[in-house]
Amino acid sequence: MSMSILVADDDPVIRRLFEKRLQDAGYTVQVAEDGMQAGSILAASHFDVVITDLVMPGDIGGIELLQIAKDKDPLTEVIVVTAHSSIDTAVSAMKKGAADYLEKPVNFDELFLRLEKINELRSLIRNADDLRNAMDVTESTAAQTIGDLELLVSDLQLKLDRVEEILKRREGNCEERIAESLSIIHE
Amino acid sequence: MIKITPEELKLITGYIHDISGIHLDASKKYLLETRLSAIAEEHGCTSYQELYQKAKRDARKVIEKQIIDAISTNETLFFRDNGPFELLRHKILPELIDARTPKSPRLKTPIRIWSAAASTGQEVYSIAIVLKELLGNDLSRFNIKLLGTDISDAAIRQASMGKYNKFEIERGLARDKLNKYFTLSGGYWKIKDEIRVMATFRKLNLMLPFGALGKFDIVFCRNVAIYFTLEDRKKLFNKIADVLEPDGYLIIGSTESLTGICPRFVPKRHLRSIYYQLK
Repeated sequence: MSMSILVADDDPVIRRLFEKRLQDAGYTVQVAEDGMQAGSILAASHFDVVITDLVMPGDIGGIELLQIAKDKDPLTEVIVVTAHSSIDTAVSAMKKGAADYLEKPVNFDELFLRLEKINELRSLIRNADDLRNAMDVTESTAAQTIGDLELLVSDLQLKLDRVEEILKRREGNCEERIAESLSIIHE
Repeated sequence: MIKITPEELKLITGYIHDISGIHLDASKKYLLETRLSAIAEEHGCTSYQELYQKAKRDARKVIEKQIIDAISTNETLFFRDNGPFELLRHKILPELIDARTPKSPRLKTPIRIWSAAASTGQEVYSIAIVLKELLGNDLSRFNIKLLGTDISDAAIRQASMGKYNKFEIERGLARDKLNKYFTLSGGYWKIKDEIRVMATFRKLNLMLPFGALGKFDIVFCRNVAIYFTLEDRKKLFNKIADVLEPDGYLIIGSTESLTGICPRFVPKRHLRSIYYQLK
């Protein structure tokens, strides 16, 4: 399952590098030159992963983009890229729901490992989801059958109780009691 | 992973039945190994026989609790199978309110609800959300007791905190309800205080007497009796019949049945859902 990735970085050289390396590795990649542009790309299409620089010019930085991505789809995973000096910000990004952070300069082997982990997790979730859906279908079909049977059995039991009462009764002649019982059975 | 011998399998499944009522047959060998191996190792045991001996000697019941937490199934969702909650909203609560509202406007309407296998709290909070949405501003005119019980300490702890990760929260719960009744903090969704305060949680083993809980108007006992033997199921639903008000309501799992289990209940249908009342 190939993942779609959106990269937001204001440095054109790094942007190009991300695009090339990720494409070569078989991912579908789109790039944005700042948070604003990334936000409008996100609004128009879905991405499995967003890789964003923490510090970008304009009103939308990495943290804001993280929130936009998570609001749109909580299952979109966000990796933030940060300078060593702003590790604290990266940690606070993870508290806000980022999947991971990478330090600059980006080590691509490390990035690919993180992406593989994300992909593995996604297939596990997908698998659990499929199982749950299969269970839901089985369960609702079974529930319908069981519900019908439950009511039918209860209804039959009531009839049986009434017939038993009639047959046990001492007064009245046999034929009348049989006729009465049969009418209950045929109700 | 420590392998379990046939003798140990018998010993351990018997022990689990004694402490929790959960009935596991020999086909659950793998489940026992995967779930109990780590506990055995943690306590320095090299066999399940040894773990059993240690658990029996442990006066603080630490190992017993760990085993229950490991074995009990916590598969649960918010509004899992919407039927019961629709039933609650459109049929049971309106009927109950009619029946229970006191003549004097100064008195509050009592409603007592018990979720007998509350697990990590999703069912209880789903019920609380239905109550909140249905009664809204009139909530203060009601005296609501909403009790959730479960055999697992770990489950009750989580239920009590009302904290869920994204996997626990995302299914079953519509986005608008999520934003309305939960707050996101530190990557977790936490139930808001206004909903949390409506519920109480405590540990309870359904195999033991529970008459001391008092009477209830509504009992949810969904998807827990399926883990019990037929005999234990009969005892359980008989005890539930004892704590249910004569006009009370029982809701069981959608694929469960009380036929041949407890003749004191009669099934009734509302739309697609089945509920039970005393004869």
